[in-house]
Amino acid sequence: MNAQTRSLLALRLAALALMGLGGIILIQTPQIRESAGFSVVGPRVFPIIVGIGCLIFGLLFFLRVTAIPDHVLIADVTGEEQITDWSTTLSLLGILIVYAAVLWPLGYVIATTLFFPLSSRILGSYQLRRDLLIGFLIGLIVYLTFTRLLGVRLPAGILSGLL
Amino acid sequence: MDVFNYLLNGFLNALTPQYLLLAAVGVTIGTAVGVLPGIGPALTVALLLPLTYNFDPTGALIMFAGIYYGGMYGGSTTSILLNTPGESASVATTFEGFAMAKSGRAGAALATAAIGSFVAGTLSTILLTFIAPLLARVALLFQPADYFALTVLAFVSVTALVGSSVVRGMISLFIGLFFGLIGIDILSGQVRLTFGVVELLDGIDVVVVAVGLFAVGEALYVASQLRHQKEEILAVRSSVWMNREEWRRSWPAWLRGAFIGFPLGALPAGGAEIPTFLSYTVEKHLSRHKDEWGKGAIEGVAGPEAANNAAFSGVLVPLLTLGLPTSATAAILLAAFQIYNLQPGPLLFQKSPDLVWTLIASLYIGNVMLLILNLPLIRIWVKILTIPRPLLYSGILVFGTLGVYSMANSFIDVLLMYGIGVIGFFMRRFRIPVGPAILGLILLPLAEAQFRRALAISQGDISVFVTRPLSLSLLLTALIALLIPYLPVLFNLLTGKSSRTGRLVFGRGEED
Repeated sequence: MNAQTRSLLALRLAALALMGLGGIILIQTPQIRESAGFSVVGPRVFPIIVGIGCLIFGLLFFLRVTAIPDHVLIADVTGEEQITDWSTTLSLLGILIVYAAVLWPLGYVIATTLFFPLSSRILGSYQLRRDLLIGFLIGLIVYLTFTRLLGVRLPAGILSGLL
Repeated sequence: MDVFNYLLNGFLNALTPQYLLLAAVGVTIGTAVGVLPGIGPALTVALLLPLTYNFDPTGALIMFAGIYYGGMYGGSTTSILLNTPGESASVATTFEGFAMAKSGRAGAALATAAIGSFVAGTLSTILLTFIAPLLARVALLFQPADYFALTVLAFVSVTALVGSSVVRGMISLFIGLFFGLIGIDILSGQVRLTFGVVELLDGIDVVVVAVGLFAVGEALYVASQLRHQKEEILAVRSSVWMNREEWRRSWPAWLRGAFIGFPLGALPAGGAEIPTFLSYTVEKHLSRHKDEWGKGAIEGVAGPEAANNAAFSGVLVPLLTLGLPTSATAAILLAAFQIYNLQPGPLLFQKSPDLVWTLIASLYIGNVMLLILNLPLIRIWVKILTIPRPLLYSGILVFGTLGVYSMANSFIDVLLMYGIGVIGFFMRRFRIPVGPAILGLILLPLAEAQFRRALAISQGDISVFVTRPLSLSLLLTALIALLIPYLPVLFNLLTGKSSRTGRLVFGRGEED
C-alpha cells in the first residue's frame, strides 16, 4: 500500500467511526429512562439530535473522501502519512500509559523521575543524566508544593516513609 | 451608582496586594505559555482549574483573565522569532513579523507588537467598561428560546467560520456534544450514555477533555512528525524599540486593529483568530508601502497584534453579559465561573458587582504589567524559546497528567484523558479543528436546559423559536454565518460565471 491508499483508508475509517458513534448513541438512547414526573422534552431528545448529527456529518465526511473527494485534504494527509514516525508515536503513548499505571504503586516522585527522561529520549533528547535530574526535580518540587502548600493529595508510593 | 463609581470601587479592590499578586502571576504564566509553542491559554487555564477550587473566585478569575491576554502578548514573540505561532491568534503575525526578524528588525517588530497590544488592550477595555453594563441590561429581556437560539448561533458560527471545512468543524462540534451528554442529566436525573461505567456517572470533566485534546493530542502529533522538524530561532540583535518612521506607521494600524478586534471578538465567531486575519488583510490593502509586504512591513505586525488583544476584551462582553463563550478559552473560563457557582449573564452584574468590576479593573492593571513584561524584559522570554523541544513536550505531558490525576487520584480518569488524546491526535491529522469540541462540551448543558425550558413554557410548541423576533433573528444570523463561507461560490452560480474561487476561509481553528 502506498501513502495515498493508506491515508484514504484512514480517512474512510474515521468517517465510518463517526457514523458508528452516531449509531451507538441512537441504539443506547432508548435505554435512557424517561423522567417520572411531567416533562415536555425528556432526556432522550438531545441524544437523538446528537446521534443523528454524527451520522449525517460522518456520511458527509465519507463522501468527501470517496465520491466527491476533497483533494486538498487528501493531499495534506498523504503528505503527512509519508513522514509519519509511528514507532515514536506509539512508544510515547505506551510510556504514558505505563506512567499512569505506576503513579500509585511507585509514587509521584519516582514515577515522574523515570517518565521524564524516557519520554524525552523517545522525543529525541540524548542527555540522559540531565533529563533524569530535571525529572527528579520536577517530581519532587511538584510533590512538595501540592501536598504541603496546596493541600492536594498525591501518592507517596515507596517513598512514603521518606517524604 | 454609575459606571465610574463601580469602576473606582473595582480599582480599589484590584489594587489590594493579594489581587495585584494574582494578576501578576496570571500575566506572567500567560506570557510564558503564549511564548511556548504547543501550550496555550485554554490548556493552561484548564490545568489550573483543579488547583483553584479553594481560591476566592475573584482572585482566580483575575488570574485566569491574566493568563488569557498574557497569552495574546506572548504569542507574538514566537511568531516573530521562530515563524511558529505560539497560539492561534498569532498566526497572522508570522507573515510580516518573521520577515522583519530575518532582515534584522526583530526589535522593532517585538516593540510594535507589545506597544500595540497595550494600546489596543486598553482601548478595548474602555469599550468593555461601557458596553458590557448596557448589554447586560438588554440581556435581561432574553428568554429561554432566545438563549437557545444564541447557543445555536455560537455553535454554528464558530464551526463554520473557523477552519477550512464546515463538515470537519461540525464533526468536532458533535464529538464535543457527545462528551457533554455523558453522565447524569441534570434536569431529569436520568443516566445517559455511560455504557455501564460507574466513573462516567458524573460526566466527563472539562479538564480531562481539554488536556486530552490539547496536550496529549498535540504531543502525539509532534512525536509523529518528529523526524522532519527544523527550527531556527532568530536572535534579537537590535534594541527592542522603534524609530520615528516605525511609530508613524504603527499607530494607525494599532487603532484600526483595536476597532476590528473588539467587535469581532464580541460576536460569536471564535475569538481572536478571525480579527487578526482581517486586520492583516486591511493593513495590506491600505498600505502605501505595498512593495514591503512579504519582506517585513511593520503594519502587518502592528495591526494583527492590536486586533488579538482587543478581541480578548470583546470576547469578555458576551461571556460576562450573556454567559456565552465564543472561543475555546472563553468556554473554559465559563467552566471556571460555574465551579464557583457563578452563572455569567445579565444577573452577574446585579448579584456580584464587586467581582465583575474588580475583574474589569484588573484588566487595565494587567495591561500595564504586560507592557513592562514584554518590553524591558523581552530577552528573558526569548530564553524560554531555547528549551529543547523533547523536554518541552515531556514537561507538557507531565503537567497534563498531573492536572487530571490530582483531581481524584484516579487511574481511570488519566486513561480516559489519554484516550481522548488519541482522538485529538487523529483530529489534528485529519485537519479537524479541536476548538468546536471544547465549545460543544461546555455549551451543551446550557443549550439543552434552555431548549427544554423554552418548550416547557410554550407547552411543547416548537414554533416558539421562530415566533419570538429575537430568537428568530438569532437563528437567521446563524444560517447566514453558515452560508458566508460559500458566498463566492453562490455568487458565481448566480451570475453564471465559472471561477476557481473556493469557499472563504477566516482562520485555521487551531486554538490551544
